[in-house]
Amino acid sequence: MKKYIIKRLLLMLPTFFGITLVTYGMVRLAPGDYTQLKAGMDSLKQGALSQEIIDQERALYGLDKPIIIGYAEWLWKFVRLDFGDSRKDGKPVLSRIGETLPVTITLSVITIVVIYIISVPMGILTAVRKDSLFDRGTSLLLFILYSLPSFWVALLLLTYLAGGEYLDLFPLGGITSDWTGNEGFFTKAADFMRHLVLPVITLTYGGFAFLSRYTRANMLEVINQQYITTARSKGLSEKRVVLVHAFRNSMVPLVTLMASLLPALIGGSVIVESIFSIPGIGRLGFEAVLSRDIPVIMAIASISAFLTLAGILLADIMYAVVDPRIRLDGKA
Amino acid sequence: MEKPDILPGGYRAAVWRNFKRNNLAFGGLCIVSALIVTAILAPLIANNKPYIYVSEKGVYFPLFFNHSELKDADLRSGAYPGFKIFPPVPYSPSEYDLSFIVLPPSAKHIMGTDEQGRDLASRMIHGTRVSIFIGFIAVFLYVMIGIVVGALAGFYGGKADMVISRLIEIVMCFPTFFLILTILALWGPSLLSVMVVIGITGWTGIARIVRGEFMRLREADYIVSAKAAGAGDFRVIFTHMLPNALPPVLVSAMFGIASTILIESSLSFLGFGVQPPTPSWGDILSQSRDFIDFAWWLTLIPGFAIFITITAYNLVGDGLQDAFDPKSVIHRR
Repeated sequence: MKKYIIKRLLLMLPTFFGITLVTYGMVRLAPGDYTQLKAGMDSLKQGALSQEIIDQERALYGLDKPIIIGYAEWLWKFVRLDFGDSRKDGKPVLSRIGETLPVTITLSVITIVVIYIISVPMGILTAVRKDSLFDRGTSLLLFILYSLPSFWVALLLLTYLAGGEYLDLFPLGGITSDWTGNEGFFTKAADFMRHLVLPVITLTYGGFAFLSRYTRANMLEVINQQYITTARSKGLSEKRVVLVHAFRNSMVPLVTLMASLLPALIGGSVIVESIFSIPGIGRLGFEAVLSRDIPVIMAIASISAFLTLAGILLADIMYAVVDPRIRLDGKA
Repeated sequence: MEKPDILPGGYRAAVWRNFKRNNLAFGGLCIVSALIVTAILAPLIANNKPYIYVSEKGVYFPLFFNHSELKDADLRSGAYPGFKIFPPVPYSPSEYDLSFIVLPPSAKHIMGTDEQGRDLASRMIHGTRVSIFIGFIAVFLYVMIGIVVGALAGFYGGKADMVISRLIEIVMCFPTFFLILTILALWGPSLLSVMVVIGITGWTGIARIVRGEFMRLREADYIVSAKAAGAGDFRVIFTHMLPNALPPVLVSAMFGIASTILIESSLSFLGFGVQPPTPSWGDILSQSRDFIDFAWWLTLIPGFAIFITITAYNLVGDGLQDAFDPKSVIHRR
């Protein structure tokens, strides 16, 4: 096991280099760089910027060096966890990430929990009543939900359920209200929850289809096994057969899916966070892209690459943990 | 001895029979076909020039030819008497009229007008082109890349497979949407860049499918005998192995078109998609945000169009998946 994990960690390195190198190369090769953008803005304000200052600025961000050297310098700083300062506001990138990443991770974890709570029972029920009206109706409904564009749904939810134009059930955006600081913990917690309802709905409904279909397929596979027939013929109640004997064995792939869902959700948070003005990493990334903030773009690319790789590894390890038939070190 | 006819008309006919039996999938196919026809014929369905105009001076076909004497003439006005046949939506997508902004649907503008007084029906019809075009081209691009890469890995195995598998893993770990956004923001958004970026990041799924099928087929008796008969690698790959790998590729391509249309409309919504004045559904939806509290038609119509299109492609993909399943091909005759 230990050997396997070390091997996998080593194999992650080239993937990580590949992703960060391509991102860095792309940012550097793009026509026009940040200094020109900033120089252009400054010259509007206070007359032309001298070439000397532009050169200084370029040197500061390593733009005067060839791509490979610039990348190597970035990598060396990265190894020492030095992500540099954001070009936009001069704050350290690490602190910006530290503020935004927990928000996105909280949102993603809540989303995953909601997806599992709703779609796993749905998958079991549809598998038990296979081909019934309930089964077909549910699968069509989930199919429709899966095809609804999330930015459209977010827009409609905001218009009709928030802000007070039609209904004023939820706040328009953000994750907290403006507090004076005297409110109790529960008031704050309730307020936080109220802010999260619409974003969580937007993030979850598309995931139901995938997971409940997956659960259904796994259940159907298990339910035809001989030991299920045995359990039934022993006279166990149908409920016990389904929940204890069948479901526990179809759980294996469900557990592993969880690890790969997290990075996907973080990647998909750009739109939802922009629409609901949630100060998470997706919105930070979107703003960084708009202002060509290379240190921030690089930091987000490397962090999401790292999370994806960690998620895949975690999924494989969990697979072995929950299913004793799987041996990771290749000695079958 | 006569062979029993298990599949009359062959495999393709059986798949088609199976597919037709699935009402939802067949409905999806009808919607997709209608959208393709709309996209191709868009200038004939929504245009401010008549098909035919008969006046005292002669017979004109303004929609098909540039008549110099009718240049810049608005033939819809009473200043041009005579016999005219207009397209069903007699407005062009870029034609604006600032005295008729943000009007709800009416007999004159069946889907209402937008913030510049442009006819929404006309913009929706022309917007079909972007969605359909991007979906097809981007997915075609990545299916081609995926087939070649996957075939190389699956057919040759060994070192080629190792290198390609690592490459697939690297591309799969890319935060795709963020990557697309970065490229478009830095290199400038356009129809071409959206298609190319989706094309070069999306091929991994297809490559994995083709690789898997090729690995499975590589040791099959008919492949070994084809090789023994002296068939070259190229011939074995393209005429003997690839046709067997195509069904799952086709299914995946259908789902791929659906998600490409979703990505394109999301990008347009964020302002990184196709640039104005080219009408696109995502862009219409994005512009509607300023009037969302009262102009329901500007939000509901484009959103619903995107939703229906995605659903239709997904239904076709799902139906194909069932129809291709060899078990159902034989049993559900």
